[in-house]
This record gives sequence, C-alpha cells and structure tokens, in this order.
Amino acid sequence: MTTSQRWQRILIVLGCAVIAYAVLAPLTSLDGAQALNLPLLTDKLWFRLATITAMFVVMATAWNIIGGLTGYAAFGNVAFFGIGAYTTGMLIAKAKWPFLLALPLAPVAAAIFAVLVGLPLLRLRGHYFAVASLGVGVAVGELVQNLDYRGEPIFGGASGLFMPIFAVPNRDLYFFYLMLGAAGVSIAVTWAVIRSRFGYGLIAIRENEEAAAVIGVNTTAYKVAAFALAAALTGLAGGIFAQWNVFIDQENSFPIAYNVEMILMALLGGTGTVFGPAAGAVVLQLLIQFLSGSLPITLDLPFVPEDAMPVLAQVVLGVLLALVVIFAPRGVIDFFGGRSRLTIAYLRRSLRETSI
Amino acid sequence: MADLVQLVIIGLLAGGIYAAVGVGFSLVWGVLNIVNLAHGALVIVGAYLTWQIFTASGLDPFLTLPIDAVALFAFGYVVQRGVINRIIRAPLLFTFLLTFGLNLIAVNVLLLIFKSDFRSVTTAYSGAGLDLGGIVVPYIRLAALGIALLVAAALALLLNRTRVGLAIQAVGSDRDAAQLVGIDLRHAYAVTYGLGAACAGVAGGLIAMIQAITPTAGEPYTLQAFVVVILGGLGRVSATVVGGLVFGLVEAFAQSIPGSGSVFANAIAFGVMVLVLVTRPQGLLGRLR
Repeated sequence: MTTSQRWQRILIVLGCAVIAYAVLAPLTSLDGAQALNLPLLTDKLWFRLATITAMFVVMATAWNIIGGLTGYAAFGNVAFFGIGAYTTGMLIAKAKWPFLLALPLAPVAAAIFAVLVGLPLLRLRGHYFAVASLGVGVAVGELVQNLDYRGEPIFGGASGLFMPIFAVPNRDLYFFYLMLGAAGVSIAVTWAVIRSRFGYGLIAIRENEEAAAVIGVNTTAYKVAAFALAAALTGLAGGIFAQWNVFIDQENSFPIAYNVEMILMALLGGTGTVFGPAAGAVVLQLLIQFLSGSLPITLDLPFVPEDAMPVLAQVVLGVLLALVVIFAPRGVIDFFGGRSRLTIAYLRRSLRETSI
Repeated sequence: MADLVQLVIIGLLAGGIYAAVGVGFSLVWGVLNIVNLAHGALVIVGAYLTWQIFTASGLDPFLTLPIDAVALFAFGYVVQRGVINRIIRAPLLFTFLLTFGLNLIAVNVLLLIFKSDFRSVTTAYSGAGLDLGGIVVPYIRLAALGIALLVAAALALLLNRTRVGLAIQAVGSDRDAAQLVGIDLRHAYAVTYGLGAACAGVAGGLIAMIQAITPTAGEPYTLQAFVVVILGGLGRVSATVVGGLVFGLVEAFAQSIPGSGSVFANAIAFGVMVLVLVTRPQGLLGRLR
C-alpha cells in the first residue's frame, strides 16, 4: 500500500467519524435522550456553531465551482447569500408563505440574479471580473437596505425583517440538519460536476479559455451556468439562514467579510477539489469562532480586553490570509495524500515560485 | 440653473478627492498589475495620521499632508518589499487575497487603536467658504481640489522626468527587459507601491478634513478608485484625474435624483463601472492593457 492510499483510507475513516459525530452527537442533547440518562455529547451552544460551520461549507463549496473549477475570481458571492435570505424572508414576513414553500425559491432567485449579472460580467476577465463581482456584493446589499417606495422601505430598510419563529420540535436540531443537508447537496453537486462533461468544460475554461472555445466549449453558457449553480447553492444557505435566525438585515445577510472567508476556506482546503473547501470551512470556521470567543473554550490573553477579541480575530484572519497565499498557495490539502510534504523546502519553493 | 451650477461645483469638488484617491491606485495597478484592495485602508491610515497629529499638536491639518505622504511612502515601501513582492508572479486571485488580507489587518488594527467612534478635524476656518452668488464653496474643499491636482501633477512629473520615474515606467511595460538593463526590480516595485501609498495618504489627509472618519470609512474608496481608473483608462495620471472628475460629476447628478442619495454611493459606483466596462472598456481616454 502506497503512502497516498494509506492517507486516503485515514481521511475516509476520519471523514466518516466526523459525519457520524455530527449526526449522532446532537441527538444526545434532546430532552428525550436526557430523560433516558444518555450521556450528553453536545452542548446546545455547539448546535449554533455547527450550523454556521455547515453554512460556510455550503458557501465555500459553491464558490469553488466558479472560483476553483472555472477559475473566475468571484469576489461578491455574498450577494447570492443575501438574495437567498431576503427571498425567503420577504415571502415569509410579507407574503405570509410557509417556510418550506418559501425556501425552494431562495436558490431560484439567486440563480436568476446570477444569470442576469453574469451575462455582462462574465465577459470580463481577470481584475475586471473580480472587482465587478465585488461591486455586485456591496451594491446589492446597499440597494436592499435603502430602496424605498413612496417613503416606505421595500425590504424592511435599516430595521431589517422579522419572521415568525418556525414551529417545529427541536428547532435547533432541525435547522442544523437542514444546513447539513445543504452542505451534503453542495458537495454532491461538486462531485457530480467534476465528473461530468460540464465539469471538464469548466476546467478547460480555467486552463485556457480561448483553447476551450476552439475545441467547442460554449464558454459563455458554461461560465454563466457555473455562476448560477454557485449562486443557487449559496442562496439556499441564505434561505435557511433567514428562517433559522428569524431576523435578517443588511449587516447579517450581506457581510462583506463572508466574500473573503469563503474564498480563504476553499483556498486553505484546496481549490478545484471536492472535499477541500468543506475541510477548509470547518477548520477556518472553528478558528474564527475560537478567536472571537464564541466557543466554550475561550482564549484569555493578557493585556487584551474581552471586547477587542472579535477585532483581533479579524487581524489574525488577515495574517492567515497572507501566510496561506504566500507559503501554501495550493492549499493545506496538498500536504495530504502524499503529494507534498510540509517541509521548510516546500515553503521555500512556494515562496520562490512567485516572488521576485 | 443655479441648481445645475451647484451640482457641477459639488461634483468637481468631490471629483478632486476621487482623483487623489485614484492616482495612487492607478499607478500600482498599471505598473505592478495589482488591484490593491488595501488602497482604501491606506487612505484611512493617512486620515487618522492627520487627525492624530492635529488633535495632539494642533498643527494645521494642511501641514500634516507632507507627513502623511512620507509616512505612507515608507510604510508602502516596506509592505511591498517585505510582503507583496513575494507573490508578485502568482495568479491574480492571490494578489487579490493578499491585498485584502492587508486591508483586513490595517482596518482592524485601526479599530483596536481608535475604536469605531467618528472622528473629525475641525479647524477655525472649517465652516468658511467662498460665496458665489448664493452658492457657498467651502475653502477646505476648494483647497483639497487644488492639492489633489497638485499631487497628480507632481506624480506625472516624477514619472516622466526623473530617473526613478522612467525606471518605474520601464518595469511597468516590460519587467524582464527592465531587469536586463539593470533596473533593480524589487526596489522599483517597492518605490512604486510606496508612491501609490503616499498618494493615498495625502488623499486620506484631505478626507479627514472633509468628512467624519471611522476605521471602516476607507472601504468605499477602494471600489470608487477602481471605477475612477477604468473610467479614465489605465496607464496615465492625466486619464485618472479626468476619470476622478467625471466620476465626481456623475455621482453628484445621480445622487440628486429624487429618492436617491449618498446611501447609494456603492451602487452608483457599481452602475457606472458596469456601464463603462460593457460599453467602453478602454476608458474615456485610455488604451486597453
């Protein structure tokens, strides 16, 4: 057995263990389970964290379809998250739709929006596409917060939208499984895409767009489809988030930070792979939560007041971003599966490859 | 009619600031091929520097501008030499992420030091203005426009008339050929980024006198700088100045539409950007790179 096969087995076993824990542990904190005196494996606080982590798994995996496979540096995917959240939110809060009827429209709305902006924007290359998509992210959030009709905010304005609480037993658990399901769907979609003709077309576009067009890939249609697919998955996460959180506003539905966090997650885990972005999302989200003090285990630094921790977490995120980009541009996953070893020589080589 | 004149004046005055923010961004993009997402953060670092010196020593805010320029030049030089030079040959996404990371660090360090309170620089002459038949033009904004143009002119002169400027242009047009004729690339890149940062610092100093600042106030300026540069066309200082002034005018008119306003700053910038990119990607005066 070669090293790479051994690593693969270890990873598969680890993956199964993580999934088993994710599915079983929350059940032990239910009232019914506690009445039976089953051991408590998961505190309620962990639900929230696990749900957020699953949400980022969806976003990072979805970004990977347009950013990792197609090679278009989309910097404004948070727009799709927000559009998903607001679609569900508006349907529930204003049109009084039931949640389960409103949710499927979140990915649809996000995908339609992606097609509309994708048609002009995906003609742009490189920097132009990246900044234009960044612009989409901020502009949509701004419009949602500020658009008025005869003095009345259309989308709830600065005070946001409130939804009735979704009445379901074990609400926390319900939304955790829903988000976990969305994460599973996005990973499955990526897996299917990578093995399809469509996926090969996307990779061809990433490697050389002109050549892809010459061999008969309809580049515009492929790029727009990839963008819309990423948007639909991100919008789904947004739709679930809206009802889970009960309250949405511009700040929690269009956070600019998400744009970069999802890219960093995909990058950390390895872009263009099926599980890389998900792994990156789990690791980075745990780190962000730990640094910002939302975990039961908190970090007590001397000389740092507690309220400064979330800000400090952002500084650490920035430093991490710089370090990953400089030293491990192929993602941490490159060290697994026997492709490369984490050595000083590897770091020096990464550095030399791109520096002057 | 008076409204129209007023809009034009407001637009040109705002455009001066956009030009000042844009020239540094344009230089870095044109020569280093980096879209510097930390540009807005550099602007706001300059703004806080002016505010800090003004509150601590009472020095006239206009006299702090050279200090901003020198301090940010040094900072930019070190950042480029120490960090960005390491990934200068990496794909676009990496330079993007790195500069965003730098932005994140700068903004949050400012938040740690200054908190998110609004700060403003208020001098004895802050409220005074030139009365043009009912339209009052604040002296500070007028001076800001003048200084912005002066900075742009100085930068153009430096790029076209000095040895280091010509070296920067050579590096910008062909990196390998420039290296062959003996230009030290690392130094030339660092000087370029330093100059870009210095322009951002001066722009920030001007902004501190005009608006209340917070550590996150620089963020819209990054997108606006990008729009200004593509509006004018990449490659020349004069094109960026024209881009800045035109963008100021467009924004002033767009914000005067009933129901619109300054809350839509980003959406307006984005709309202008898409319009230009789709209809005239080389910019109003520029050539496409």
